[in-house]
Formats: sequence, C-alpha cells, structure tokens
Amino acid sequence: MQLNHAQRELTVKIVYYGPGLSGKTTNLQMIHQRTLTDVRGRLLTVETHDDRTLFFDLLPVFFSTAAGFKVKVKLFTVPGQVIHNATRRVVLQGADAVAFIADSRRAAAQDNNAYWKNLQENMRENALDPAQVPVVIQFNKRDLPDSKTQEEIEDTRKKGREAVIGAVAIRGEGVLETLHAVLQQAWRSLDARAALQKNIGLSEKEFLTQVFANIDTTGTELEKEFPPRKVEKA
Amino acid sequence: MSTQPRESVLQRRLSLSEMLDVSSFQEVVRGFVELYRIGIKVFDERGAKLADIKIGNGDFCGYVFSFPDGRQRCTKWVQRVKDGPMAQSHGARLPVLDGERAPSGLVTAPCFTGLRYLLLPISFEGDTLGRIIFGPFLPEEMKGFPDTLTDIAGFEVGTAQALVEKVRRAPESTVARVMSHFFQVFETLLLAGQKMYLTSQLHIEATLAQNKELEARNTRLSEMNSRLKELDRLKSSFLATVSHELRTPLTSIIGYSEMLAEGLAGPMNQEQVDYVRTIMDKGETLLKLISSILDISQIEAGKVRLTFEPIDVQEVISSSISSLKPQATKKGVVLETKVPPKLDRVVADRDRLRQVVVNLLANAVKFTPKGGKVSATLTSVEHQAELSGDGYRIIVEDSGVGIPKDQFDRIFQSFYQVDSSSTREYGGAGLGLAIVKSFVEGHGGLVRVTSELNKGSRFIAILPVIPPTQMANVSPPQLPIPEEPDRF
Repeated sequence: MQLNHAQRELTVKIVYYGPGLSGKTTNLQMIHQRTLTDVRGRLLTVETHDDRTLFFDLLPVFFSTAAGFKVKVKLFTVPGQVIHNATRRVVLQGADAVAFIADSRRAAAQDNNAYWKNLQENMRENALDPAQVPVVIQFNKRDLPDSKTQEEIEDTRKKGREAVIGAVAIRGEGVLETLHAVLQQAWRSLDARAALQKNIGLSEKEFLTQVFANIDTTGTELEKEFPPRKVEKA
Repeated sequence: MSTQPRESVLQRRLSLSEMLDVSSFQEVVRGFVELYRIGIKVFDERGAKLADIKIGNGDFCGYVFSFPDGRQRCTKWVQRVKDGPMAQSHGARLPVLDGERAPSGLVTAPCFTGLRYLLLPISFEGDTLGRIIFGPFLPEEMKGFPDTLTDIAGFEVGTAQALVEKVRRAPESTVARVMSHFFQVFETLLLAGQKMYLTSQLHIEATLAQNKELEARNTRLSEMNSRLKELDRLKSSFLATVSHELRTPLTSIIGYSEMLAEGLAGPMNQEQVDYVRTIMDKGETLLKLISSILDISQIEAGKVRLTFEPIDVQEVISSSISSLKPQATKKGVVLETKVPPKLDRVVADRDRLRQVVVNLLANAVKFTPKGGKVSATLTSVEHQAELSGDGYRIIVEDSGVGIPKDQFDRIFQSFYQVDSSSTREYGGAGLGLAIVKSFVEGHGGLVRVTSELNKGSRFIAILPVIPPTQMANVSPPQLPIPEEPDRF
C-alpha cells in the first residue's frame, strides 16, 4: 500500500500468483471486460509468441472516495513459467493481497504445491508477512475432467486459513467473486494496519462499492449486493 | 530475511517524459500543427514543457506584447493557461461542441485578445499527468476585438486586424474535434511508451535481482565449501591421532603375547599356547587395519610424500607374493607370478609400490574361494597409450566373486564396501583400494578394473617408467560424488 496524504492518494496492489497456464491472465481479462471504462485503465500485457505472460499483466482500477481521496487498485499477474522467478519476485514486491490461482485438476497438484511454496518463499524474500498479507485461493478450471471434487476442495480449505473459491475463469465464473474476496481482505488488513476508515474515511463498503458498482456483476454471486448499472459499455 | 529491495518501477507513478520519446513526440506534434494550423503545447504535471509548436499567431501576439499593458496581460494569461486550474473557473468554460465528441475534461479558455484556447488535462489511469493546450485560434463568430484589448494605450485596431488574419479562424467544435483526434494519437503513444518503459525497467530489475541471488548463493556455497574442507581436515587429523594411539598399546599386546607363546614366561600347555596365538593373530589383523586407517588419513591430510628411486619391480612383486603366501595357502588359493625375464629398471617409491601390490593381492585372496587362483603379472616396459608415454603394468587377477559393474567407481572410495550389510561375508575396513589408487596416482599412474560376477576380477595398475616429479605429493582419490537415484 502506498498512502500519500499530501496528494490524498491511496494505491493498493493485488497480485495474481500461481503456476503457468493456471488462468491468471484470463482472470484479469474477464475483469477488464466487465468493468466500465470510468474506473479502469487498459489492460497492459506483454506476451511471448505462444501467448504466455512474459513479464506481467497490469489492470489499474481507480476511483475517488466521498471524502475526496483518490484510490488506485493495481491488479497484477506474475509470469508462471519457472524460469521467471526473479520477475515474479519483483512483481510481488509491496503486494497488499494475493489471489493464488490454482489449477483444479488432480494432475496439477504437484505444480500448485510447488508454486505455493514459491509464493511463501518470495513473500519472505520481499519481507511480506504472511500474517499481514492475505491470500485467497481460486480453484480454477472446475469444468475440466480430472478436476478435484467439491469434497476435496473442502479438505484443502480446511488445511489453511485462506478463503477458497471455485472458478471457471474462461467463462467468467468465480472471477469477480475472487476479486471481491481479495479486495475485501486487502481492505481489512490495510484497515488493521493503517486505519483506513479512521484516517481517510474509507469504509469497507465504500471501497468495494466504488469498484463493484462499475462492474457488470450479471450472473455472479455479487449481483444482489452490487446490481449492475444500466449503462451501455464504452 | 533479506532487506527490502529498492522500490520497483511498478510501485511509482510514471511521468510523461518517461513514457514518451520526447523528440519523436515533438515531430508528431509538429505534423499536427502544420496540418491543422493550430498551435499545440504539452506540459507535464510539474509544468515542464514537452512540446511547444506555434503557428500563425507570432506577429499578432508580438504586437500585443510590444505594449507594456499588453505584455503584463499576456504574461498573466499565459500563466493562467499553463498553471491555472483546469476546471470551469477563472474564465474557462465548457466548449461549444455542436454535437462533436470531445475528450472529458476539455475546457475553453478565452484570451483577453479575443483569441481562444482549448485546454485538456492528460488523465491517465486516474492520474492527471499534465495538460495539452490547443491554440490560439480565432473564433469563427468573432467580429471585433474585445475591450480588454482595445483599451490598451496606443493599440491600433487596423494593425492588429491585419496581423490577426494569420491566425486560423475556426468554429470551436472543429478545434475540439481536432483536439480529440490529437488526444487519441497521444494516448496511443502513451500506452505504447508505458508498456515499453515498464517492461524494459522490469527486465532490468529482474536481471539485477537474479544476479544478486546468484552472488548470494555463490557466497553461501564457497563458505560451505571451506567449512567442509576444514571438517575434512579435522577428520583426517583425528583419524591419524586415534590410529596412532591405538597402535602403541596394540604393539605391546602382540609383543607380550609373542613372549608368552614362546615360553619366555614359563611353559604353557597346548591349549594356552593356542589361545595366545589367536590373540597374536587377531592383534596382527587389527594392527594392519589401523595401519591402513593411518595411511589413508595421512593421504587425506596431504602428509604423504613419495620418495622416488630406481627400484627392481620384479623383487617388489616376488616379496609381495611371499608375504601373502601363508594366507593363500591357509585358504587353499593358488598364487601365481608372471614376470618378464628381464625388466628395465624403473623409478618408483619402493615401499608404496609394494603396498599397492600387497593390497591388490590381499583383496584378491580375500574374495577368492577355496581352490581358486590368484595371479600377479608384470609386463615389460613399453608405450602406454593411457599415460602417453613409456610404462609398465602390474596386473592382479583372481577367480573370485567379482564386482558389479556399477560399483567400479565406488570401490576406490575410502571405507566403501560392495557389501556393506552387517551380515557380510568378507571383513576389512574398505581402505585397501583407496590406498592403491592414491599411491598409483601419486606415481602418475592409473588403476583400471574389469570384472565379471562370479568369474573373477582383474585390477591393472599402469605406471610410468619415471614418475613426473610434481606428482610426488599424494592426494586422496578424487571420485565422482554419488548421486541419489531418482525416486520415480
């Protein structure tokens, strides 16, 4: 988090982490598609010739609070290939919350474990305290054969304190729910550290509403809480 | 935990000058200005100028500027356009668009001369990074000059009228459309520039991070390496000390047993003599074992130096054979020697070479069952391809149990046993071959092994006629580090 009182500006950094081809970029693409241009910038991506993330993807989301604070939420992905560990570590620097995108297929368990360890390691290297930087796990590709059953995912949830969300990112399922969970936890952890409510008058509700009121939540679990605005997409 | 790395390019707001290539950007602006005949200025958020291309208004503005009042008003106006608020205040208002689309935040700022400017804040990802100033242009509907210009003392309308005609006359909506077009191009340049700047900077950061990591790892490795070397040295010196301390009392045990057996302390019955002889035998075995430990630890500690002199190898072979004879006879193993009738004198360390032959023969006898055969062969001096020079071979062959192929490298490792189970059949500390290899290599030679399971083994020591002198210092056998086998 970067909080600049002089410029009345708050920057929050969310990092989508996980093994190669688990769907990190797809998550950002779906968010980008469903978000009104009023609150987001363009999706910046640098890909290799085979459409894999080379450095990172970046999607900025921004709004002004009722109290006149400018809030920027930067959504990043890291490159998944093993060789890009240094880039992953640099992108992870200063993250306020992490969405760990895992592949639900049983065959991917080993990769998920390896990247989970890699995340812990890189958080340590970046002096990010796991107790202060919340992580949300998304089990992506729920639609594929060989993916874990609901019970198995339940078991995974019980193994740690992270929120676990199922998803089929390519169809947009679970993407906004994951974003909601990771933003909510980011706000809570930042509020505990920097008293956002008290210091800049930003409540959890306002934080989430400013973002999700500008996102097309049609067909998601968030539809009731944040009814989609009847505005034509730009 | 490492220290917090320096702030990444991803953490900070980029400025326009970082994202744009200023000189090529100025070319683009110039192209626009010449095409539409309206000046364009671009400032970043700190008020630094990125582009300023004027067209048409120079003479008119110069004329106004030539009056003290005009100069004062002009300066104040420029200040307002450049640094003043971008909101609809201080004379600025929303542009008349006549249905044209315009980028959000566009305002019209009328100059005191009656000319007009359009101002556009550069919003990028929610930040205002600077402003674009379009103009001046002559409003389509403007008929005469306003009072704010004509009341300047000495101002002549006629002169001004002639000069102002060089400024482009256009409806506000048209200028807004041009502005909108310009902004699209500008945004594209900005995005491309941002992408390039971020990725190149990140690439540098990642490379630096990787370098740092490698350096740290190297330092750790070299520290670990020196620690291991130190431990290894301590181990060897410990072994040397302990072996020495064990040998001294053992010599006394053997000595006194011998005296007892020979009846020096009075007569003993047969059973007592047998017991004492067993004590002597086992003592000798133990002494040999301790001697090999002492040898290998001295080799590992780098304390063994070979002394080379001309020697008679045939004599070395025959004396080794005779020292193994009792053992072989006891076990029922035949010992054979094949030596050439005449051998050139060679240079070697006699005692060490003898130990090589004795160790090889002892091994061969040990692993050969009753009724088997062990032979020691000495070749004549001839060219040895392996040494790229003249040399000779000592070949020790047996008809014993043999050695599995995948163990050929490991058998030369100190303390290694092919069968290391607690129920193994053959005794020993696993040092004989390690000593052989060290001594032969100390002579500048090589040891080769071939074997077939249950048929026998053949050890070949290939030695040069004259060892290269620099090899006189014996080092422990350098062996490949055994790798853990794959689990799957």
